[in-house]
Order: sequence, then C-alpha cells, then structure tokens
Amino acid sequence: MPDLVNMSSTPRQAFFGYWQKVTLILLCVTMACFYWADTEIIALEPWSELQRIGLGFLAPDFLATEYLLEAVWQTVSFALLGVAAGLLFGAPVALFYNKPVVAAACAFIRSIHELFWALLFLQVFGLSPLTGVLAIALPYGATFARVFSDILQQAPIYTLQNIPANTDKVSRYIYGRFAHVMNEIKAYVRYRFECALRSSAILGFVGMPTLGFYLESAFRQGHYHQGAALLILFIIMIGSIPFWCRAKLLPLYFIAALWLLPELTTIDGSLVWRFLSDDILPPMFQSHSMDLLLDDRWQLFAKWFYNIVTEQALPGMLATVLLAVAALGFSYLLALLMTTFSFKPLTGTFIARINNFILLILRSVPEYIFAYIFMLLLGPSMLPAIIALAIHNGALVAYLTGRQSTTTSFSRHFNGKIDGYAYDILPRIYPNMMALLFYRFEVILRETAILGMLGVATLGFYIDSNFSEIRFNGALVLIGATALLNILIDIASRRLLVNASLSHKPC
Amino acid sequence: MLDISDLSLSFGDKQALDSISLSITSGEKIAIIGSSGSGKSTLISYIYDQLQGSAAYCSQQQGLVESLSVFHNIYMGALGRNSAVYNLFNLAFPFKKPLLEVTAIANSLELDCPISQAVSQLSGGQRQRTAVGRALYQDMPMFIGDEPFSALDPVMGKRLINLVLQQHQTVIMVLHDMDMALQYFDRVIGLRDGRKCIDTDAAALSAEMLQAFYEDSTHFIGASIEPAEIA
Amino acid sequence: MFAIKPLLSMLVLLFTPSLLAATFTFTAIPDEDESQLRTRFDKVAAYLEEKLGVEVKYVPVKSYSAAVTAFRNNQVQLAWFGGLSGVQARRLVPGSDAIAQGYEDQFFKSYFIAHHSTEIMASDNFPNLNGYTFTFGSKDSTSGRLMPQFFIERNLGKRPEDIFKRIGFSGDHSRTIAQVQAGVYQVGAVNYKVWESAVAAGKVDLNKVDVIWASPTYPDYQWTVRAGVDETFGTGFKAQVEAALLSMNDAELLKSFPRKSFVAAENQDYQPIENVAKTIGLID
Repeated sequence: MPDLVNMSSTPRQAFFGYWQKVTLILLCVTMACFYWADTEIIALEPWSELQRIGLGFLAPDFLATEYLLEAVWQTVSFALLGVAAGLLFGAPVALFYNKPVVAAACAFIRSIHELFWALLFLQVFGLSPLTGVLAIALPYGATFARVFSDILQQAPIYTLQNIPANTDKVSRYIYGRFAHVMNEIKAYVRYRFECALRSSAILGFVGMPTLGFYLESAFRQGHYHQGAALLILFIIMIGSIPFWCRAKLLPLYFIAALWLLPELTTIDGSLVWRFLSDDILPPMFQSHSMDLLLDDRWQLFAKWFYNIVTEQALPGMLATVLLAVAALGFSYLLALLMTTFSFKPLTGTFIARINNFILLILRSVPEYIFAYIFMLLLGPSMLPAIIALAIHNGALVAYLTGRQSTTTSFSRHFNGKIDGYAYDILPRIYPNMMALLFYRFEVILRETAILGMLGVATLGFYIDSNFSEIRFNGALVLIGATALLNILIDIASRRLLVNASLSHKPC
Repeated sequence: MLDISDLSLSFGDKQALDSISLSITSGEKIAIIGSSGSGKSTLISYIYDQLQGSAAYCSQQQGLVESLSVFHNIYMGALGRNSAVYNLFNLAFPFKKPLLEVTAIANSLELDCPISQAVSQLSGGQRQRTAVGRALYQDMPMFIGDEPFSALDPVMGKRLINLVLQQHQTVIMVLHDMDMALQYFDRVIGLRDGRKCIDTDAAALSAEMLQAFYEDSTHFIGASIEPAEIA
Repeated sequence: MFAIKPLLSMLVLLFTPSLLAATFTFTAIPDEDESQLRTRFDKVAAYLEEKLGVEVKYVPVKSYSAAVTAFRNNQVQLAWFGGLSGVQARRLVPGSDAIAQGYEDQFFKSYFIAHHSTEIMASDNFPNLNGYTFTFGSKDSTSGRLMPQFFIERNLGKRPEDIFKRIGFSGDHSRTIAQVQAGVYQVGAVNYKVWESAVAAGKVDLNKVDVIWASPTYPDYQWTVRAGVDETFGTGFKAQVEAALLSMNDAELLKSFPRKSFVAAENQDYQPIENVAKTIGLID
C-alpha cells in the first residue's frame, strides 16, 4: 500500500457531491417551511364520516350519476381538443422561445392554473366548450413551447451539414433537427394528454360538463357511493389510456370530439368589451363611479390596491410558498421510496406490480379529493394540503422515474439487495428524478390553487373568493401576483440549479 | 472550378491547415489521404463549403437521424428538389415516386434490410450505406465524401466506390485505404500536419511511396506528442 | 397538422348565428342535494314550456357566482338565485326583477351548530364564540355566509377574523354539518332547511353536533327574470312566467327546489339583503 498517505489525505467532504448538496438543501428548506407552516392537527371524531366514505368505496354506485357517458366523453374530448389547440399554439412558439419576451410571456401564461383561465374565460364565453378547451390549450401551449424548445436544443446539428444546400428552411428544420427528437416529443405529448385528462376533469369543478362536475358535487355533498364510483371510473380511464388512445384512432376521436361538442353559445361582443373595458378595472374607475373626481379616484385606488396587496396578495404568497416547498420536500421522500419499490429486480414482480397499481391510483386521484379526506382526519390546517400535494406529485415523479429505471441496464454484479440498488441503480436514475422533481415544483406551485378553493389560504383561496364575490378586478390583481411569484421562482431556480444541465450532473 | 490559394485555418491553438494552395477542375477524381489529425476533414469540409450548390456531401459523422427510417434518411437527399409542403407530407405518408427511387438506390447499395426500418437498429455498415445513399439521391454532378466507406468490407467498398464514380462527374474523397486511392482516383493529395505534402497524378505514385509518406507522418506526429506525455 | 381541421370547424361554429336565439333558458341550484340536476330540472323546463309556449331549456351551473355570470351574459334569462346572488345579478343587469320566492323564503333562517366538546348550550341569546374555530358554508351563500357573518359582527361587534381562532369555508351546507360533527371546526353556520332534512334523514348524530342558536328570519331564494324578456319573447311574457311559477303545484317539481310552493316577490323584498351585503363589504 504505497499510496496510504496519499489516500488518507483525501478529505471526506470531497465525496460530498453536487446531488448530496442539493438534497441536503432541499430537506433543510422543507423542514424550515414545515416548521413555519400551519400544521396543527385538529380533529376530534372523524370516524363516522370516514366510515361513510369507506362504505362508499365498498359499494360504489355507478348509476347514480346522470348523463355519465356524456361526462366521460366530454372529459376525453376537452382534453383532446385542448392538447391539439395547445400544440397548434405551442409548437410554433417553441421556435422563438429563446427570445426573452416570448419566454416571459409563456411563463406568465403557464403560471395561471387552468381553473383560473376557465374562470376568466367563463366571463367572456360563458358555459361554452370554448371556455374549457381554451383553458387547457393556453397553459398547455405555453408548456409545450418551453419543453419543445428544451428538447429541440438537444437535437444534434450534424445532420444539417449533409442536407442538400438548396433545401428550404422548413424542410431543413423538420428533417435536420426536429426528426432527431420526434420520438421524445411524441412521448411528451402522450404524457401531457394524461395530464390534460386530469385537467379536463378538474374543469368540471367550475362548471364544464366533465366528470369533475359530478365528482365535486358528490364529494362536497357527501354522496360517497356516487363519488367513489366516479373516482374509480376516472382512475380506470387514466390507467387504460394505452388501450384506447391509439395513434390510429386519434383522427376518429377528433371528428367525434367536434361532432359531439356541446353547442357553442354565441358570443356577445358587447359583453366581451364590457368585461375588458369596465369589469376588470378597479371599482373607482368603473363606469358606475363616473361622478368621482380624478384625484379622489387615484386616492381611492391607492387605498384599494394597498388593501388587496397587504390583506390578500402577500399573505397568500407566503402561504403558497410555504405549502409548495413543504409539499416538494415530501414529494421527494415519497418519490424516492416508491421508485425503489417499483424496481422489479429488487422487490420482486409481486410487490413491484402492487406498487405500480398504487402509483396509478395516487397519481390519478385529484389532489382535491385527498385533501378533503385528510382534512377530515387531520383538521383544516395546511397539513392535509401538504400531504395531498406530496402524494400526488411524489407518485407522478416515481411513475416517470420508474419507467426509466426499468430500462436502465444494471451491471451483472447487481446483488438484488438494497445496497446493490443504492450503488448500481440509484446513481443512474437520481439526476433524472431530481430534474423531474424540480420541474414539478412549478406545477406544485400552481396546484396550490385548487387547494385554495378548498379553504387553505393560498393565493388560490383569495382568487376564488374574489371570483365568487364577482370582483374580477381583485381577482386579476391576485392572478398577476401569482404569475409574478411563479416567474420569480422560475428565475431563482434557474440561477440556483443551472437547470439546463441538471440531469447530466454526476451523482 | 475551385482555386484555393494559401489557405490557413486554425481552431484555438491548433493549426488545422497551413497555407494550402490547390485548384480543382471539373471531371477530376481526387483522393485526399493522410494520417488522423492531418487536416483532411477540415480541408474537405472547406471544399464542400465552397462548392455546396453543386455537390453532395457525405460527412464522417454521417448525420443520420436515428428515429427516422432508412427511406426517410435517404430521401433527405431530395429535400432541396421538392417544396416544403411536399417534404412534410412525405414525412407522414411517403409518396410513391420517392419510394420507388429510394428502393432502387437501396438495392444498388445492397442494403439488406427493409427501408422502413429505423436507422437506430442498423449495423455500422448499413448505416454507412444509408449515408452514401442519401448523397447519391442528391443527384449532384459532384460527390464530396469524408471516409464514406470506412466501415465496409473491402469488396463492398469497391463496389460502392464504382457506383459513386459512375454517377458523378467530379469526386473528391478522403480515404484511408491507399490501394483504393491508387486504383480508382486519378489525383492524390497527401496532407501532413496541416500542410500539403503530396499533390500528384495517381499514376505517378507507387504503394511504396505512399507507405513511406505515412510512416514519415506518423513518426513526425509521434515525435511531437512524446515530450508532452513525459511531462 | 391534424389539429387544423378541428380548429377550423370550431371557428366556423363560432361565427354561425345561434339557432337557439329564441330559446328561453333558465338555471337553478337547489340549496340541498345537487344530484341529478338535469334530470330533475328538465321536468321543470317541460312544465314551463307547456305554460309559456316557447322552447325552454335548463342549464346546470356549479355555483351562485356562475349563475350570476350566466344571467348577466344573457345565457340564461331566468334564474333561481339565493338572496345574495339575486341582489348581485339585479345590480349587474338593471331592469331585472325578482318575481317569485319560495313560501319558506319569506322567513328563512340560519342555524349555528356546534360540536359537543365546546359545551355551548343552545340559547335564544347569541352565543359567545370568541376563540373558537368556525366554518361558513360556501363563500357566496346567503344562509351559510352572508347572514351568519352579519349576525356575528352585529352581536359581537368585531370582524370574524378578530373573533375566531380559525375560519373556514366548507363550500356546502352538508359539508359544514359533516365537518362540525367530525370536530374539524368547532362551530358552523348552516341553512336551516338543509339541517332539518339531514336530521330527518338520520345523517346527523345529535350527540355530537347540535343547534346552538337560530338566527332571526330574512328573505332568501327567489326567481329573478332578466330585463328585456318582453322584447324578445313578446309583451306580457314576464307576467306569464310569474304566473307559471306561482301556479306550479306539482309536488314532484317543487321537491327539486325543495319548496312547498312559490309566492309573489319583488325587488324591494331583498333590500335588507343588499344592505347587509354592503355592511359587511361583500358588495361595494
């Protein structure tokens, strides 16, 4: 051992690499947020209500919902049309995504939850399918723009050299760059379609005729037999996507989706104009306060704006961040655990299968339902929301990582035990898992909106309040605050993590 | 057709080409030889840049698109001839005419796989033939290639080089195989360390002379690397 | 490329003038049991169609604010509103009128209910709720939010956020009952009719949750018809609608609301609601 001296001089912290640091920071920040968040457990006697929920799942009533098939079909149809329209908008924009203005505009559009887009479009288009389709298309399009642009950047450029010199620009781009990443893009669109099904269902919460319309009513009003049936149906729908969503059937679905679209209500231009020119203005600038003096108006405006910012926007932002970060940390733990369980060579076929089934359920059930059940168990603090978000997103990340780990080739020395897994498999999939998790943070931040509607005082809570008090001006200020928060966090995370090369960092 | 005088190119610290002068006339069959790092690829890609309107290019990296079929990869040679709309439709639903033409090319290249197969599933030799096929399908008067046959067995290589020579008026090619250079080309350019050392009729060169050229250049390069390694 | 066709046809549809322009459309959300909405209210639509002689259609909505939006955007011309949403709607579409209310809505009330662990005794006097956790119903409900908040502020002289340790919006009367019964919140405010039918249906464990205070009465649900229906559907149409509603006596139809019968109402009846909403700052 001639090198003993040399070896002992290598300090231990030299082995404390990039991902160890990131993980440690993540856990510390999570603990801090969890400490400051309101996580009091208050529940005295949840059992009778939980028993009724349990009975509901034991005897789901599939016939209790009227127009059930129609609701199932509309859920699919809104998702399909929404994704198609999103592609139409997002794919061309992806080509200009390197322009900061475009990227910022897309970040703004993405940061607003589908539900809020729907609530906005409801004012303009009313209960028309256009509202639902656009509410999906807009944020999905903006996401497509970002992800496509990321993927396209990774496409090799060497093919361009071999293409005839007089080729037109479009063919050059399509054959030379796009074709390289076509499969990746296809896979991403397929994954987003699953997300769109969930979004489409959730749009039912605000009145679109999808499954969520009935699901929300059933759970809200305690019709658990009906609610359980709808939830089971929804999970089956998501789980069976590979069987019914075939590329060859898509054109057929499209035609059917258009044919069977609920009738579009005519749009009254004057209403649209009134919404844009009057409703969304602060109250002192609206037409009904014409008699105010200009100076008074500005004074009133300052007071109004100050009140919204201090009483709603700032507390809402704080709660949103605490909730989202705490949820991110718990998502990480859950994702790590479930990814491990889903690795067949380690846990065996049986456990891996069960784990995958659990993942399907956990990622399909809307957070809203989890939060509701945990709220009965744990009381109305932030805790149920944190757990609900963590379960949903942790399961999703585990599902996506697990898909990768099944194709990861492991060395022949793999001993089939947890230490072998930690040496052989985990280092390979960890960077990707973390990258997915951090991408997911943006989504978690947005999803706090739905939990706001359940009563957790995030920004979503205040936006929902403003909508239900028919105060679009206030809602718009808060939506602006949401967007600002998202964009700030986006910039911060880019700075901190240099995420362009996130998944290529060694463990 | 092309005159290069006193061309020097460098990437960072490395001098890739050092005052090269040469002129190429239409109808010539030129082989460029030299050991690795002598600047062959730099020279050939420079030549292609000058002539790209009338030349088909087959680079060393091949530039194949893994996820596309053999058909589509070869079809890319025709991108310049057709409109964008035609090209786009052909990506989704191949048209009959290019399908027939590409099948003919694949046959002449003796590609023993269905042309609907994705390139990612091909062997090294099949990939190289696909890349050559794409250059052939460009249907240009000139062929510029950077070791297009390096992964093929000698018999197949010779058959394909005949094909390429038959179908192009002018051929400029980087080659590793000296016999091939002597047998099929009428002019040979030898590079060493970025400088042109040989530029002569193939008939005036013998295998022994070439051997000496190579040994000389390897010796030369080896000598320049050794001190760095010791340090 | 495959998405072009759908979009085109969507655009075409968008600019096609609606063939349903002469359909009289209404919406309604009952204060309890929102299941089978379309099945139940399509029967009401059929009844109105027969009485009015025009095509009548029902559209389901999810919340009072959605109903108000549909009303203001002329997607519905008649709506069964709660007290507060009716006031909001009539403010947004001047010239609209409350034409009928449920028999029970003339003297509607809210119950305050409490979990047994609070040991608050039922009383005619307003209970001291300082320091408890409290849940309203949905944010835009009259009986679950507006009136309870008003009574709390009037009786305790403070804003709810200064009184309660924690405030929630359960979103629904049934859920308020479920949450207070489970002890998630200690006290809650609920529509008295929903409470009474939940008790009658055996869904409430009175050992765990019970009424501690009943509010004074106030006017609540009403039918509001949109300004301009006489121009669209012919003179006297509004009066016809009112007559059709008041003469509705089929028990099955009335059960959907659920009300004993409908009686005449006018905008003036809801002035107290508007005043209360202004007092607590729900409308400007």
